[in-house]
Amino acid sequence: MSNPLADMEKPDLIFCIGTNMTECHPVAATRIKRALKRGAQMVVADPRRIPLAEMAELYLPIRVGSDVALLLGMAHVIARERLVDREFIDARTKDGEAFLEHVQQFTPEWAAGITGLPPADIERAALLYGRADKAAIYYTLGITEHICGVDNVQSLCNLALLTGNLGREGTGINPMRGQNNIQGAGDCGAVPANYPGFQPVHDPANGDKFAKLYGREMDGEKGITKVTALNRCGEGIHAMLIDGENTVVSDPDRHHCEHALRALDHLVVIDIFRTETAEFADVVLPATAWGETDGVCTNTERRVQRLRAAVTPPGEAKPDWWIVSQIAQRMSIAGFEFESAKDVFNELCGLSPIYAGLDWDRIEHGEYNWPVPHKDHPGTPVLHEGEFKNGRGLFRVISYRDPAEVVDDEFPVWLTTGRRLQAYHTRTQTGRAAGIDYLLSEESLEIHPDDLADWGIPDGGWASLRSRRGAIKIRARASNMSPRGTVFCSFSFSDVPVNILTGSGYDPVTETAELKVCPVNISPFEE
Amino acid sequence: MIAEVKPTATATLTLDGVEVSFTEGETIYEVAERAGREVPTLCYDARLEAFGGCRLCVVEVDGMRAPVASCTTPATAGMVVKTTTDAIEKHRRTLLELVASENRENEVDELRGHASQELKSLLDRYEVRGGRFAGRQSGTSNSTDDNPFILRDYDLCISCYRCVRVCAEQEGDHAITMMNRGFEKQITTEFNGILKDSACTFCGQCVQTCPTGALGDRKAMRAESLPGEVEKTRTVCPYCGVGCSVDLLTKEDRLVGVQPAMDGPANEGALCIKGQFAFDFVQHEDRLKMPLVRDEDGELHETDWETALDRAADGFKKAAGEHGRHAVYGVASGRAPHEAAYTMQKFIRAGFGTHQIDNCSRA
Amino acid sequence: MATNQELIEQWWKEEAPLLPLLHAFHDRDGFISEEAIRAVADGLKIPVAEVFGTVTFYHHFARKAPGQAAPRVCTGPACKYLGAPELLKSLEGATPMACAGRCDDGVPVLQGHEVRVGRTADSLEKTPSPLPPPNPGNVEECVFAHIREPERNTMEGYRGYEALEKARGMSRANLLALITDSHLAGRGGAGFPTGKKWEMVEQAEGEPKSIVCNADEGEPGCFKDRAILDYDPHAVIEGMAIAAHATGATKGFIYLRYEYPETFQIVERAMAEAEELLGDGFKLYLRRGGGAYICGEEGSLLNSLEGKHPFPRNRPPFPVTHGYNDLPTVVNNVETLASVAPIVMKGAEWYRGLGLGEHAGTKLVSVSGDIQRPGNFEAPFGLPLLTLLNEWCGGAPEGRSIQAVTMAGVSGGFLAGDDLDVTLDEPSIRAKGAFLGAAGIMVFDDTRDMVEVAHCAMEFFAEESCGKCFPCRIGTQRLTERLNGAAGPADETKWREEVHDIGRTMMATSACGLGVAAPNITESLVKYFPEQVAASLKNGR
Repeated sequence: MSNPLADMEKPDLIFCIGTNMTECHPVAATRIKRALKRGAQMVVADPRRIPLAEMAELYLPIRVGSDVALLLGMAHVIARERLVDREFIDARTKDGEAFLEHVQQFTPEWAAGITGLPPADIERAALLYGRADKAAIYYTLGITEHICGVDNVQSLCNLALLTGNLGREGTGINPMRGQNNIQGAGDCGAVPANYPGFQPVHDPANGDKFAKLYGREMDGEKGITKVTALNRCGEGIHAMLIDGENTVVSDPDRHHCEHALRALDHLVVIDIFRTETAEFADVVLPATAWGETDGVCTNTERRVQRLRAAVTPPGEAKPDWWIVSQIAQRMSIAGFEFESAKDVFNELCGLSPIYAGLDWDRIEHGEYNWPVPHKDHPGTPVLHEGEFKNGRGLFRVISYRDPAEVVDDEFPVWLTTGRRLQAYHTRTQTGRAAGIDYLLSEESLEIHPDDLADWGIPDGGWASLRSRRGAIKIRARASNMSPRGTVFCSFSFSDVPVNILTGSGYDPVTETAELKVCPVNISPFEE
Repeated sequence: MIAEVKPTATATLTLDGVEVSFTEGETIYEVAERAGREVPTLCYDARLEAFGGCRLCVVEVDGMRAPVASCTTPATAGMVVKTTTDAIEKHRRTLLELVASENRENEVDELRGHASQELKSLLDRYEVRGGRFAGRQSGTSNSTDDNPFILRDYDLCISCYRCVRVCAEQEGDHAITMMNRGFEKQITTEFNGILKDSACTFCGQCVQTCPTGALGDRKAMRAESLPGEVEKTRTVCPYCGVGCSVDLLTKEDRLVGVQPAMDGPANEGALCIKGQFAFDFVQHEDRLKMPLVRDEDGELHETDWETALDRAADGFKKAAGEHGRHAVYGVASGRAPHEAAYTMQKFIRAGFGTHQIDNCSRA
Repeated sequence: MATNQELIEQWWKEEAPLLPLLHAFHDRDGFISEEAIRAVADGLKIPVAEVFGTVTFYHHFARKAPGQAAPRVCTGPACKYLGAPELLKSLEGATPMACAGRCDDGVPVLQGHEVRVGRTADSLEKTPSPLPPPNPGNVEECVFAHIREPERNTMEGYRGYEALEKARGMSRANLLALITDSHLAGRGGAGFPTGKKWEMVEQAEGEPKSIVCNADEGEPGCFKDRAILDYDPHAVIEGMAIAAHATGATKGFIYLRYEYPETFQIVERAMAEAEELLGDGFKLYLRRGGGAYICGEEGSLLNSLEGKHPFPRNRPPFPVTHGYNDLPTVVNNVETLASVAPIVMKGAEWYRGLGLGEHAGTKLVSVSGDIQRPGNFEAPFGLPLLTLLNEWCGGAPEGRSIQAVTMAGVSGGFLAGDDLDVTLDEPSIRAKGAFLGAAGIMVFDDTRDMVEVAHCAMEFFAEESCGKCFPCRIGTQRLTERLNGAAGPADETKWREEVHDIGRTMMATSACGLGVAAPNITESLVKYFPEQVAASLKNGR
């Protein structure tokens, strides 16, 4: 997030797109509710009539995967109505002219043809966003899990740059992170393109620095993404160490994924449960869980906070860092003589510019949002204040692209997936929490009542759900949250392995899977 | 964090004979609390709009014909305030005797909720032992709501409406309401039904603000009979990326419950159903307790660490030896702490000189 | 029959829509169903739970059949001795209601939109409310001066808004000075100077400003506002319009208690007649309560208007700056507003001169109970109470004597014995530990059990306590139990100690006037009738 969570109570206009925040980030959503009570207005764009939509001044039920078209149409109106922040564009951005020229062709009528929205609503959304003194954008995986995920994010940036809604309180571009330490995994360098602290691997200076620190030559080329790695299992990738991820259930195209893991010579899984993924492993190593482990995590607003152990781990479970270090030591890799989580974290702080001002003891109370470049720095709750990290904010000239697969006669319905309030991810945790079943005991497919009737499926009956990659059986439920022609389910229940169906395409830059769009065919289930 | 710049104090008032400065907009209660006075309250929750219901926080202000509720009265320049006169203390004791008289019991296990000891502590402080003001009890416990999370023991309710207000103001769910009036007032949901049929999201905020334990954390209460003291450990919720601070409740090495940290920087006391109630995957019987290795029979078998770690290391050595250093790939977790992700990437980079490392953010 | 959607369409864009919309459903179905509550919540964008809670707050909103169709019998302190308990038993499906403001001819029975009055089931009759009898001393009146003229409640009979025209010809400053100079003060009981209140609203920032007429006359033994609105509604409307001119307000609300359905129709018709004279600059709305005494408290009234749970508001801020919709608002009682037009016409000096001695102006007093000639009287401030009771009202019924009277309805507690020798003004009455307030005076003769009377009054407070603050919610309940013997010590000393401790804490710490005033009943009971208290404890009540 460019702005802190506390800022969510401060915008005049809140633009939520591709985020079912009340279910996926409920505590953040409470701040939005308070902003609304204070008098802020909200525009919500989402294919489903999610709870946020009910609170919105304007709800835009866009067709799945048409976000870029909506955002181009909004930019067009903002430019046409002269709601652009000239001063901001001149002083702080680059390529604004090219972008302004580019958007001239994308009228609301054009955007309406793709998004399925009335042109007047696109106009109104643009005016609400463009006229607000403080407008903030919030999004989650509804924006990124598309083949055009990067384009979506860039389009949102374009809107913010166009109107000067960055670097100030109550504004910004704010992705909500879905996992407790997914931000931290990136901070720590567990990505193929960056060393810890987002130091690019292609920069030779960084290569030299880490060669010294780690005592060996470093590749100057970035690594491959996990998605590519899974594609190359058995053909270039032969051994894998997976820590705390149930890849088989959470990743798209489950059959492909299982096949990939089987093709490995050597798979080591570190986890707290014997997950579906662990079943493919040669070695499974028991890790300590949350509540049993001292450590550090970074939240969605870049706040660095301590995790503390409260109970003894079961059996012989060990912290992840200890397990990885032990493997490394057995392979004679130098620099793994850590004795505590504190040792590990302090080493990270020593080589990450964004953590340079931090150490284990300083984050005791969680006051710091990174970057914290030196010990006297108070932290950075709001990014891009005064200037952008890389000098100027870049406008990107982006055009709309169709999803990897679009509906056709054989697969005439859009399937989109997500989470539910009471379940988390693959339910390895919530599925084992007493009482959750009382509220959510099984997965079901949410279908508009009229579609349900048209397709001849009784409410609560079984349906067969098919995509180009596979088929599953799922209970069908009438829901007014689903628009006609679009259905929804979560990927949380292993007995409804919806990711057998997904995986139609990947964003070319991030290789994030298009989990939010999958054309399917639905019919009554027959034995 | 950048310290919030507060407007400088512009005025002073006299608090129990001492001149105290305050900022415009502060209430007498806030000024008194800052000055270290322990003004008693039952309907007060710093996160909520001041309500002025319990009247325990009344203070004397010169020039006012009756005591005023300090929580709702703004501080004004030159005000002369007395927080603990004999008369005020007598009223407070009488109020506490009245409150004590309307409940089935006034002593509950601390596992019921974060604020559950507030009434009991005040009764102790004012040495109210009950007995006076006998009469009918207020509130009727809901025995039909069998949800596994929230006990609704309204026999113990004192109508402070903190639950109603936290649900509306803090959570924005408006699931809870108050029915009827006067002594017949009853906390309930729409149409006097059960929580599951209401707008309730089971975030547990009502439970944690309840000052008597009328609302109780049913999951934590399962451990009431376990031996040992309740200990609290501050940590961060393991679910989404908001990073809510929580206190883990333990009893003799058993994780028995979770409470939100009222001073948590990301959540300021708020939580959701997962953070509040979905903690018991820890110490679950399904947990992996021993390393497993796949034997020649094709099955995973328990083994010791030495064997498992050797097998793990050998496999990577072999793969790199046979297929080159780029053949080894690491997938770090977005769920584990920094130390896991950091050592994972270091393992790949320091071990193989490659960047064959990623995490689960792409799915 | 209108559909849910039609009803919502009719109201959702209106000012203060919750109450009229609930009434629309209540009238349509005879009760407010679950479906109606959901429709209202959806239509007005108020959470369902909140609408539900608010509906349950009001006594008269039924939630199931026969609902509105079932008779409700007044069991107030005056009607109780006019046969109300027997009437309640004899009417099928009847339920009790708090004092419904017909103490002068009781017992009122409310059914649907109709009030019938009588002492027995056979004698119930729909009759207009009694006109205020002329006072025997020919003392000059202000509010009642013209009320007995025929057709006075029509525009024709009222003969136009002459005073409004005159006021509109004056500057705001001069008009405010006139009202201030008249010494007119709040006649609902609080006695705040009206000119000063208007001036504060005039000067407060924020628009639009409102004038709210508090016609939620709920105090037992008070029925003066009903008389004014039944027979002289234009005096009130004109007063509101003058207040609007003086303050710059553009909206006006009359908040009328539920129990006066005929009055509602009279006022509604008068408002229609007045519309043209009021002009575009001042829009008037009539809102009907749902049956809650606390809504006569101005904070509760405003919350009720706004569709919120009708708890009193914390003060400060006061309505003059944060009233309706948190904007500057005048809240005045019916009687106060009805005094305005005569003051504008005849001047401040004239009005001041109506009082006796150093007292300025007049006060309407509702006299009921054990008295020969009950009714509403306009008394000059400073009139001796005994003159009113014995000369104007004819004293106690034949063969009996006055044992005690209540003051301020029941809020002021009892006066008895030598303390009846007071004059009708606050300083004189407050010196005896009571207060005049809205000036409902119920008379109890020497045959009455005063502990029983006290219990009836305290039970009223307990039922009407809103439940917001601890001392009142629990205190009124505990005092009721101590008066009817349901709980509490049997030992007189301990009983007195508990009752006194509860009362003192209620008076000192309650959040609004209800809880502050309720213990006046027990305090004065113990003061004047210790032997009746002792006897009742001895008999184990």
